[in-house]
Amino acid sequence: MNYAKQTSPYIRKETSVKRMMFDVLIALLPLVVFAVYRFGMDALVRIILSAVIFVGVDVVAALLKVKVHPSVKDKKERFKLRWKTLTINHVSAPLVSSVIFAMIIPSTLPIYVLIVGALFGSIIAKAFFGGLGSNIFNPAAVARVVIGLSFVTAFNYVGIDVTSSATPLAAVNDSLASIPAMLESYSLKDLFLGNIPGSMGEISSILIILGGLYMFIRKAADFRVTVSMILSFTVIMFVATLTVKPIVDNGQIIETVLYQVLSGGLLFGAVFMVTDPVTSPVTKPGRWIYGLVVGAIVAAIRLFGALPEGVVFAILLGNIFVPLIDYYKWSKNKYSWKFILGYVVSLSVVSLIVLLALGGIK
Amino acid sequence: MIEKTRYIPDGKKERKNQPVIHYLEAEYLYFPTTDLRCPAGESCVVDGQYVKVGELIGTRQGGFFEQPIHSTVSGYIVGSEKKVHSSGQTVDCVIVQNDKKYVLYENCVSRTEEEIDALTKEDYIKIIKDSGLSGLGGSGFPTYIKLETKHPIHTVVGNGVECEPHLISDYKLILERANRIVEGLTYAMRATGAKKGIIAVKKKYPELYEVLENARQSFTHFDIEIKRVGNHYPAGWELDTIKSATGIKVPQGKLPAEYGVTVFNVATLYGFYRAVKRRMPITERFFSISGDGIKSPKNFQVRIGTPVRDLIALAGGYTETDKNKVLICGGPMMGNALQSDDIVVTKTATSLIILDEEVIPTEPCIHCASCVYSCPVDLQPVQIMNAYKERDKDAINALGVNKCIECGLCSFTCPSKIHLTETMRQAKRFIKK
Ligand code: SF4
Ligand code: SF4
Repeated sequence: MNYAKQTSPYIRKETSVKRMMFDVLIALLPLVVFAVYRFGMDALVRIILSAVIFVGVDVVAALLKVKVHPSVKDKKERFKLRWKTLTINHVSAPLVSSVIFAMIIPSTLPIYVLIVGALFGSIIAKAFFGGLGSNIFNPAAVARVVIGLSFVTAFNYVGIDVTSSATPLAAVNDSLASIPAMLESYSLKDLFLGNIPGSMGEISSILIILGGLYMFIRKAADFRVTVSMILSFTVIMFVATLTVKPIVDNGQIIETVLYQVLSGGLLFGAVFMVTDPVTSPVTKPGRWIYGLVVGAIVAAIRLFGALPEGVVFAILLGNIFVPLIDYYKWSKNKYSWKFILGYVVSLSVVSLIVLLALGGIK
Repeated sequence: MIEKTRYIPDGKKERKNQPVIHYLEAEYLYFPTTDLRCPAGESCVVDGQYVKVGELIGTRQGGFFEQPIHSTVSGYIVGSEKKVHSSGQTVDCVIVQNDKKYVLYENCVSRTEEEIDALTKEDYIKIIKDSGLSGLGGSGFPTYIKLETKHPIHTVVGNGVECEPHLISDYKLILERANRIVEGLTYAMRATGAKKGIIAVKKKYPELYEVLENARQSFTHFDIEIKRVGNHYPAGWELDTIKSATGIKVPQGKLPAEYGVTVFNVATLYGFYRAVKRRMPITERFFSISGDGIKSPKNFQVRIGTPVRDLIALAGGYTETDKNKVLICGGPMMGNALQSDDIVVTKTATSLIILDEEVIPTEPCIHCASCVYSCPVDLQPVQIMNAYKERDKDAINALGVNKCIECGLCSFTCPSKIHLTETMRQAKRFIKK
């Protein structure tokens, strides 16, 4: 019997990265089921393919990363040593990315486009940065943005009645004023239940909210980023709506704002994508700021840009700010009056700019 | 998980219901002449000399203080030997062969109430100094130095929180000696001139509150309060205890005395009672042996100086497995791992935990921030770790690693099982260089 050299503490909490990843997968499950129910085989094939690519790349990258001692010459032995270093996280983590990626593409996306996206996300965004925990961009968001820019025509959305049309959001890009009209073809209830055209997993708000609640209760995700992102987005959209006279006159402000929140992947991004801990700041105030930044960028893209994939873009742009938010000279985990004031002032200033840019209250 | 971890399973339930074995049979008792705080020391006895319980046998010398060493049994001095101290150091020990008669040293006679009433602050300091009392909560800091403070003290806090899991030493002491602890508190109050005394215990042990509250009734001419504080970890950390007991926030790096508060562990308060009332040093303490590496975990009440190997034998010895054992002196969150079981019970040793070694594989950090949320002193362990990896002295300093109290919560909570606390220690050493 020998005495082991260890240092305190000698006990650990029963939590693991594995459990967190599986919690996210469980939260995504209803969306996956719904996607397969709505879009059938098309969806299933794309989800599985995406999973195979993401997991495959992660495993291969992990195997290649291992340094085997040069004294081991036998090829089989070398492989065995590498194989031993694999853990469940080389499956669960990429699985999460793959499902998220599958949920933000349309079910009609050509297979080759999907393959390009998935490879980009898994190799460039993750493996090149060093694998789990080291990536600074959300892999699924990178995958989506790359194909969104390269294969614009490949995006066709299938609705229940409409076979091919733009997402509800793309149709209202230029004008908020048309939302009340949009609401006539797609009611808020449809948005909630997922009776709209759109990406596979982004359309059913209710399932996204349920999944989110599950994750937050299980502490597999941080609610702060989600709440902050939706909050800042909602405030800015509310202010923007005030500039549209017909909406204000008809008292449809709330509906219009709600429509914005429930459509175009905002909820999905807020619940499943910005919450990715790897690409989030590590302090509580930091996470509030990060949510604010991403929410404001989404709002700006929707109001002034013409990109249908505004949310994923905003997330990638937000990722760039993370090291800045975490910079050691100012990152603090305590809420201070300075932080609260800063948050409120920033949100007000952005809202004010939007208000002025859109021509003031009507 | 992404959350603040405040509560850790405390394993006391199993421990506290076990009976306490009063062990007085040790053949030889060992008294270290040096320890971590006192690098020098000498004995003032010669081989073959007969000593009695409570008799002075040597002195340990620290940088600016000294600590007398007392025999806790009667018998003959039979030389000296090297043993392992609970801190892991190897130290010289004076050996006393126990004649098991437990003859009391002549000077150890009780003081009368009148004598105690006549004691001045200087008297108290001398009494406590001569009794060799030190921070029995584990700090080992000489108690008389605390009494010598120039700052006016208004409140004495008795710390009975014992927030480390598995430890039951203070728990048992309060249950069995509540009256003397409260009496000790009154002496501590007189010694410091404090008007108020508070004893803090965990909320989840109402039985401790009961006994102390009962004991308090006999000292109604003192303003004493028994306070039930949080069950979280590290509620027994001095600054945390002060905050929950008195509401005073003492910033890190400041002395509680500057804020008019001074904290003594309940065992130290019991030491006050022994020294002031009975003219005796601390001779016994509760010591438990637990963990899955030992056959039958047990609680003991033993003389200070008892070799722990005796107790291991009484607990049935190690379990016969091929696994390596982890020997922890102290609690599972902050204790020291020892490389030998050749240790003796010292004043500050609370327990020995023997675990089968289990190697926990670590995963990459996923920035979940649980460590940041959980740190009781608001550090950002993950950022310090990253800065340390970059060997970025400025960043490590700016992130305040020196505030780390090495409580172990960050390692405990990390879902990737990264050993953050050890990294904090390394980072501390690194910036000192
Ligand atoms: S060990 Fe240090 S850094 Fe870790 S939680 Fe405790 S005080 Fe904070
Ligand atoms: S070190 Fe551990 S607890 Fe801290 S952020 Fe990384 S994974 Fe989370």
